Amino acid sequence: MNKPTGPDWNALLVKVGSHQDKAAFGALFSHFGPLLKGFLLKGGGVEPEQAEELVQETMIKVWRKAPSYAPTQAAASTWMYTIARNTRIDWLRKHAKKNHQTDELVAEDLFDENEESSPFTALIQTRNASNIKEHLNSLPQEQLQVLTLMYFQGKSGQEVADELAIPLGTVKSRVRLALQKLKLKLSPDGEEQVVYAS
Amino acid sequence: MINNHPNTQLLTDYATGGLSMAPLISITTHLQFCDQCREAVSGLNILGGELLADCDEVDLSDDLLAQTLAMLDAPMETSAGAEVAVEAPRSSLCPDLANELPKYLHKFLNHQELEWRSLSSTLSVAAISVGEADYELALHRIDAGGKAPVHDHKGTELTVVLKGSFSDEDGIYREGDFLMREPGDIHRPSATQDQACICLSVLSAPIKLTGIKQVLNPFMRFNPS
Repeated sequence: MNKPTGPDWNALLVKVGSHQDKAAFGALFSHFGPLLKGFLLKGGGVEPEQAEELVQETMIKVWRKAPSYAPTQAAASTWMYTIARNTRIDWLRKHAKKNHQTDELVAEDLFDENEESSPFTALIQTRNASNIKEHLNSLPQEQLQVLTLMYFQGKSGQEVADELAIPLGTVKSRVRLALQKLKLKLSPDGEEQVVYAS
Repeated sequence: MINNHPNTQLLTDYATGGLSMAPLISITTHLQFCDQCREAVSGLNILGGELLADCDEVDLSDDLLAQTLAMLDAPMETSAGAEVAVEAPRSSLCPDLANELPKYLHKFLNHQELEWRSLSSTLSVAAISVGEADYELALHRIDAGGKAPVHDHKGTELTVVLKGSFSDEDGIYREGDFLMREPGDIHRPSATQDQACICLSVLSAPIKLTGIKQVLNPFMRFNPS
């Protein structure tokens, strides 16, 4: 992976997985923990203690799932992001109305875990990460705003449109423009459709 | 070759955690079939990772690491994402479909008897409960060469073809194809001659009948034709 300076987080994560290395885990925790807390608080709707609870839960999952981590498939930060996202989804569902039927279903069951079957993952990982680093800070404010609302708050396009009081079509075009600037692949669908509210 | 895909907004909603369970399931199911959309989602996840890495750090409580380290050796709780063995689906599922379904669907199905109900001589439906009031998840089966009645859509419908293929006025849809139908779209799907077509469908805004416990599957609201 193209990495600037500092420890090799990917390698530390591998160590956690292969040797249950608590020192490596501690280093990851000290680096990603405050980032995760910042990420969660930026989303709002979460108290600082709850954010720490979520950080803890995320990091425990990281420990348990580390043996399945493959640095050729994802950078540590990407992998952490998906675990944190799934942890937040489960947490939000748990704190919403009770639902006995699907209680034991957790977000990680629902997200695609077969990405290793995709032959280009390692390549696009490297290429995408450097494109994103290069262009993220030059995104127009309005595009960055929509992306951060979606990522940090886990909001759907429709919810972002409601919050900003702008048409859904505007949100969709900002997302598409931003992804294009970051040189990320869009849906092969290519066609504008009315988005599905969640 | 898959020709019909979720749009960029849906894939983004998926990657950012913005979708409810039922639409989430339909996207995941499509991804099982579609390398291109997996690649797009993979890029969106990388963006999530970069946004995380770029975040302003907020200090943690001093003892959080120590507390967490102490919890690492504790026995797994199922709620913390432990692996749960997935049993084989029950026999209520037609056997030829059992292996086609993503494993997480088996989890739903193991909790409920899948009850196939005939809607017409060639169309049957089995509702899957995801416990969400806003969505209905169901499997639909059209027998080989069969036609579904003409129907319109009361809400948005997401469909993934799991097995076989069907066609309507707009085209032919094969395994893995993802379709979104909007309220007011009227169509009449029919399965191809060689085999039955089985689809996973998600419908928004199901219609509830007062006084009856069951949620009426909106697919049953067909226009007479």
